[in-house]
Amino acid sequence: MNSSRFRINHGGCHSEGSLFKHKASASEQKDSFRMTLFFISTKIGKAFFLIYLLFHAAFSNTCFAQNITGKVYAAVLFNNSKSNVTGADRYVGVFARTSGETAWKNFSNTNLFAFGLGFSQHGAIQRHYIAGGNGLHRSADGGKTWKILTGWETMEILSVALDPVEANIIYIATPYGIFKSVDDGKTWTEKMRGCKSWYADEIIIDARDHHTLFAAFDDDLYCSRNGGENWSALKIGAPGIRTVFQPAVHPNVLLAGTEDRGVRVTFDHGKNWQAGAGIAATAIYAIHGAADGKTIYAGGYQTGVWQSHDLGKSWEQLWSAPEIEAIYSLFVDPANSNHLFVGTNGKGIYESTDGGKFWQAAGLSGAHVKQINSFP
Amino acid sequence: MRNDLKQKSKMIKVKIIAALLLILPFAFCQSFSAAQSQSSFDARKDRLLNAAGQEVRKDFFVITAKLKTQRNVPQALARLDSLTRDESIGGMFYAHGLIAAYLHTASLLPDSLRIKIRRAFRMRTMVRGDTENHWVMYYTGLYLAAQTWPNEDGSQWFNGKSSPENFTEAKSWLEHWIKLTTTKGQGEFDSPTYFITFVTPLLTLHEFARDPVMKKKAQMLLDYLFADFATEHLRGNYGGGHSRDYPQDIINPSTALTTKWAWLYFGEPDFEPWAEVKGKSRHPSWETVAGAVSSYRLPEIIRQIATDRSTPYVHTETKRVRNVIRFGEKKNPPVYKYTYMTNDYVLGSLHGGILQPIQQHTWDVTFVSDKPHNTLFTLHPFYSGKELAMFFPEEQKVLSDEVNRFHRVYTDPNKWNSSSPYEQTFQHKNALIVLYNINEEAQHPHIDGFFPKNLDERAEDPSRWIFCKAGKTYIAFYPLKPYEWIEEEVNWRWRSRDLKNGVVIEIGTEATHGSFDEFKNRLRQTKVAHDNFDKTLTVQYTTQTGALMQFTYDGQRLLNGKPVDFKSYRLFNGPFLQSEVGSGVLKMAYKNQTRILDFNKVSIKDEE
Repeated sequence: MNSSRFRINHGGCHSEGSLFKHKASASEQKDSFRMTLFFISTKIGKAFFLIYLLFHAAFSNTCFAQNITGKVYAAVLFNNSKSNVTGADRYVGVFARTSGETAWKNFSNTNLFAFGLGFSQHGAIQRHYIAGGNGLHRSADGGKTWKILTGWETMEILSVALDPVEANIIYIATPYGIFKSVDDGKTWTEKMRGCKSWYADEIIIDARDHHTLFAAFDDDLYCSRNGGENWSALKIGAPGIRTVFQPAVHPNVLLAGTEDRGVRVTFDHGKNWQAGAGIAATAIYAIHGAADGKTIYAGGYQTGVWQSHDLGKSWEQLWSAPEIEAIYSLFVDPANSNHLFVGTNGKGIYESTDGGKFWQAAGLSGAHVKQINSFP
Repeated sequence: MRNDLKQKSKMIKVKIIAALLLILPFAFCQSFSAAQSQSSFDARKDRLLNAAGQEVRKDFFVITAKLKTQRNVPQALARLDSLTRDESIGGMFYAHGLIAAYLHTASLLPDSLRIKIRRAFRMRTMVRGDTENHWVMYYTGLYLAAQTWPNEDGSQWFNGKSSPENFTEAKSWLEHWIKLTTTKGQGEFDSPTYFITFVTPLLTLHEFARDPVMKKKAQMLLDYLFADFATEHLRGNYGGGHSRDYPQDIINPSTALTTKWAWLYFGEPDFEPWAEVKGKSRHPSWETVAGAVSSYRLPEIIRQIATDRSTPYVHTETKRVRNVIRFGEKKNPPVYKYTYMTNDYVLGSLHGGILQPIQQHTWDVTFVSDKPHNTLFTLHPFYSGKELAMFFPEEQKVLSDEVNRFHRVYTDPNKWNSSSPYEQTFQHKNALIVLYNINEEAQHPHIDGFFPKNLDERAEDPSRWIFCKAGKTYIAFYPLKPYEWIEEEVNWRWRSRDLKNGVVIEIGTEATHGSFDEFKNRLRQTKVAHDNFDKTLTVQYTTQTGALMQFTYDGQRLLNGKPVDFKSYRLFNGPFLQSEVGSGVLKMAYKNQTRILDFNKVSIKDEE
């Protein structure tokens, strides 16, 4: 079974990242601005305001000084950092932030163009996967050594899905379609029967039935109910599917991020689809949700982060993130739904520990972070 | 009777002697020519090695040249050592360059350095990249490295695969690529820059592959690529349309890297391309060293094809589009290429549309000249995330910015390389019609033309033709719509802002038209019919040789009333090269010589 653990310990010290806080939603910003103007117009107010700023900075630092048991992993595709930058900030690959540590460290080899992450645990055997430009990489020793499982036929690997029941079955999404291995990555077979385009951005396995798959293609979201042997378009009403998310506690719900039409959502496992209301009609590259299924977040191109409290039916903007061109990835700490991460295109990772009210740069500056996840 | 026999015998002897007298000088001339060509090549390669050996650049090929010529050996060893230690580098250029340098100089290297080179293939991520040339370098590097260290397990390799696994994968892809290239055409075809990234690894593969079949395939593909280049080569210039090129090379063709290879193998141009003559090579690297230290020798027939311009000829080709991953119906749709070659100029064109991302060069006329910037062309400077997303697996909305980081001119309205979905061509010999139908929402709604400032003449005629003279080449350029001139450093930029637009070009020479005035007079008599163009998008033009060209944008190309059928294009079709699509066989012909490369049988057949 796939397993993921992610615990937060309070009380450590976090020194990385800017003290500058990115204020949340537009309406909140307006109210806050009016109150602040009123407050600092008095002498007492000014004094209090100063104390507030100092307190807030200190408090926020404490917030961000939380230790994490387990690791957060970030898949970095490109890096805008200049050549004089050193350490993890300079490279591409997969980086991990471990409990009690403040910096990101190489988890994979450097110079690896990483699109996605995967983790499996079958019995005592844990394996980490990286969907990369050079192929599908796997480590069975916690990242010490890696092996590329694919050959030249599969080209770049954009996403990996690992069968939680049958350990030998692996699926990959590539610009040339879906491929499946039934022998633990030794050989790969193209699985495209029923597909009308070949660019597949992402593949996921249904939370209830490991034979059911969903794949984000350029023309539609596709579903296979027999382990990839046959696919059918779900006709979700928008082309250019960039990502697909299924809340584990609401397996009838699926959300798809599209190229230009925000989020499409189904509440009956793909039969009927509707547009998520309120969200910008732009490209949505990332959707993720809290483990309890109460809040779902989405991010994309020039639109910041959005949240939905009704499983994607309606949305409100949580963070406009004006200085970030695109949000490529989103991750909600399964153990603490107020602890959020976003991966950007060229500005590294941002982190919030208060449910998205305040955001702080959290390292890998310059990185294009295509996926964030937590594994052992 | 006996006298008769004697007489007959005498007659036969006379005939044989006469025949020998006729044949021998010719045969002698040919072998003398071949020998002379060989000695010229040897002189050039020695000159090249000496020049490269004096370079200070930290480059695998400069290091190889230094070690081969025993010039400043300690410095060369120190640089090679440093290249094995710098862990910030690693990739397909590195994978091939490192193993090539190692194999060429292994006997000259200390054990410690040999160990470091071996270690680099364990410690570095050799990025495979995402283009055809990247993969050729990566898999050649991997093939030769796995062959060099054949019995090691996955822990000794950067990708965790054992030597046999790496060898098998590399061999499989190289064979796949060779088959694809010789049946459907190259993807990154005819690139004055990226040509080097194909021939250099093939030279290394030919030199060091232990498998005789792979060795021969590499040799045959070298012949194939050089023959492909030779047919469009004019005095060191790579003429016509190109899949990929950089603006500096497009506007000054003899600064392209292929000029170095033309100099080495064809003996043209007559200047050393690393010296400041017409323009130093844009790229400072010395990949041609791979040719100078290789045992590969260019067949004489290819050199002759590259240099004999005594008779003008039409040459057509079919290539393929780079892998289309989105927004297309075919993964590798065909590219149709037309080239007209003369002794004074070469006019060539791709059929139009987006055939390669970012760096396409659709058409030009390149003329023989002692001056730099010996070319003239037009383009629509197009860019879009959607174009890029056809070829790259990243998000289309941010791709333009990403590409700008590496190819800084991509979004520039003044760029000199571009593919455009709004540009189509129709060429017949020395005449060309280029039509544009630019979408109103296109980011740069204009077309540009490159006119070098150093033309002998550039005159706007009341007949609407713009006449240009460059040495013995005369160019007539007929714009369909109003335009303006913008003065720039080395050129005049001809700019026209109409979205439905086009130009007609006809080229002449002193040999075909006599004086420039005569050329102009004759062009003034011609009529370019384009009434109601904005509605019909049709142009009709009768060339001076009487050919009627009718061209409708997104419609038919009619030559003397007959549709041009691109589907009938062969892989190569011209007086020198013949190959059917899908055949895997290339026939070269020059005078009475032929050379047939049969990739199915891995055989070479020479006949005279």
